[in-house]
Amino acid sequence: MLKSDGLKKVKNDLILVGVICTLSLVGFLIFKLTMKDGNRVSVSINGEEKYSYSITDNVETDIITGNNGENNNTLVIKDRKAYIKSATCPDKICVGHRPISKDGETIVCLPHKIVVSITEGK
Amino acid sequence: MKKIISLILVGLIIIGITSLTGCQKDAVYEKFTDYSFDYFDTVTTIIGYEKSKQDFDKNCDKIKGLLDEYHKLYTIYNRYDGINNLCLINSVKDSEHSELKVDQKIIDMLNFAKEMYELSDGKLNIAMGCVLSIWHNYRQDGISSPINAKLPPYESLIKANEHTDINNLIIDEKSGTVYISDPQMKLDVGAVAKGYAVEKIAEYMKQNGMDGYLLNVGGNVRAVGNRRDGKKWTIGIENPDTDDTEKTYIEYLEINDMSLVTSGSYQRFYTVDGKNYHHIIDPETLMPSDRYLSISVLCESSAYADALSTALFSMELEDGHKLIESLKDVEAMWVITNGQQIYSSKFKDYCTKE
Ligand SMILES: [Zn+2]
Repeated sequence: MLKSDGLKKVKNDLILVGVICTLSLVGFLIFKLTMKDGNRVSVSINGEEKYSYSITDNVETDIITGNNGENNNTLVIKDRKAYIKSATCPDKICVGHRPISKDGETIVCLPHKIVVSITEGK
Repeated sequence: MKKIISLILVGLIIIGITSLTGCQKDAVYEKFTDYSFDYFDTVTTIIGYEKSKQDFDKNCDKIKGLLDEYHKLYTIYNRYDGINNLCLINSVKDSEHSELKVDQKIIDMLNFAKEMYELSDGKLNIAMGCVLSIWHNYRQDGISSPINAKLPPYESLIKANEHTDINNLIIDEKSGTVYISDPQMKLDVGAVAKGYAVEKIAEYMKQNGMDGYLLNVGGNVRAVGNRRDGKKWTIGIENPDTDDTEKTYIEYLEINDMSLVTSGSYQRFYTVDGKNYHHIIDPETLMPSDRYLSISVLCESSAYADALSTALFSMELEDGHKLIESLKDVEAMWVITNGQQIYSSKFKDYCTKE
């Protein structure tokens, strides 16, 4: 009697372990998958999000900044990738940056205080 | 026998539950990101998982308040009313009033910088301000007007280098004063101040329950505490060969409660006669050191990671390797000019395939 009770308990525990392991594996896979391509391209100027596009959009747009609108960065979204095609900033680091497409990737234009970032989106 | 089995099971369940709560909490905690351009002349990214935007903003305001305070104390470029900062220390000339009372945060950072000078055998020297400011000016001019880009005359660098003895920085702990005994010497804390400030802020955050945040101050990455969703941060180290369009990242690291700082010769540079001159100056040659494309340092303290990544740039690979292996829980990866990656003994333990 005592023996079979104990065995039953072990059996239940095993099932529980099985369920938990499967769930955590699913969680792990989801985590890994979201590390991949992002869905949105977000443009923030001096910390404020100003524009947001779908990564599937076809966009070529001028991001105008500066007190008198004297600064320009041309953002291109094409083939699920975003990049800065040209800019009036002195260092041109943003123009030299590779196209971005993965969740969490950013292109920063320090002189113009622009961050183009890829987010998971909804 | 039965006891052993249940012990094993308990172990398994604990592992299972930790990962499971990871999934459950995911639904409760949302990811928030904040960008700012007000500190240390670079971009700051704050990422956190919170239940609401208000919770995140509240913590962000505290973090940014501290960044603002440290920035104003440590900057060598601006003066602020009522703040005896590094810029003021550099500009005090009158020998009668040269002992300047400063905030303890400045004294602690300068002491740390002296410690790094010893550790790096002089490769990291905050007393190099006169040399670095010449390079800074020529680089700024060269970036804004590439056609007229010039190298600093070597004689001017040699002359400036006569005023770089860190022993002339005199710190009086008791009276809380700082004094530079060589009136021509200038401090440049660019290689230590940012990392030191980030580490102090990370300490504050941990003490105040702000775990699971990621601070990135211009490439100085600090993962603070453990993430609330039970996961680790994955951080990609950029390929310093910017012409390589295939491979954006050369390594992915998985970290929690650690710092990663990458110093690169590929981002802040200017070009003279087709050759790139970057911003990390070797104290021996007084020229940008051209041994590496990038160096990444991984350890808990952001202060050490920042200082060491700069120091390693001016060290031979063998010497740098020896230094890193002599330090506990500090790892590094060097990318030498031909693109080859060299690792310290346990760096790859943190690498993940993506
Ligand atoms: Zn730019």
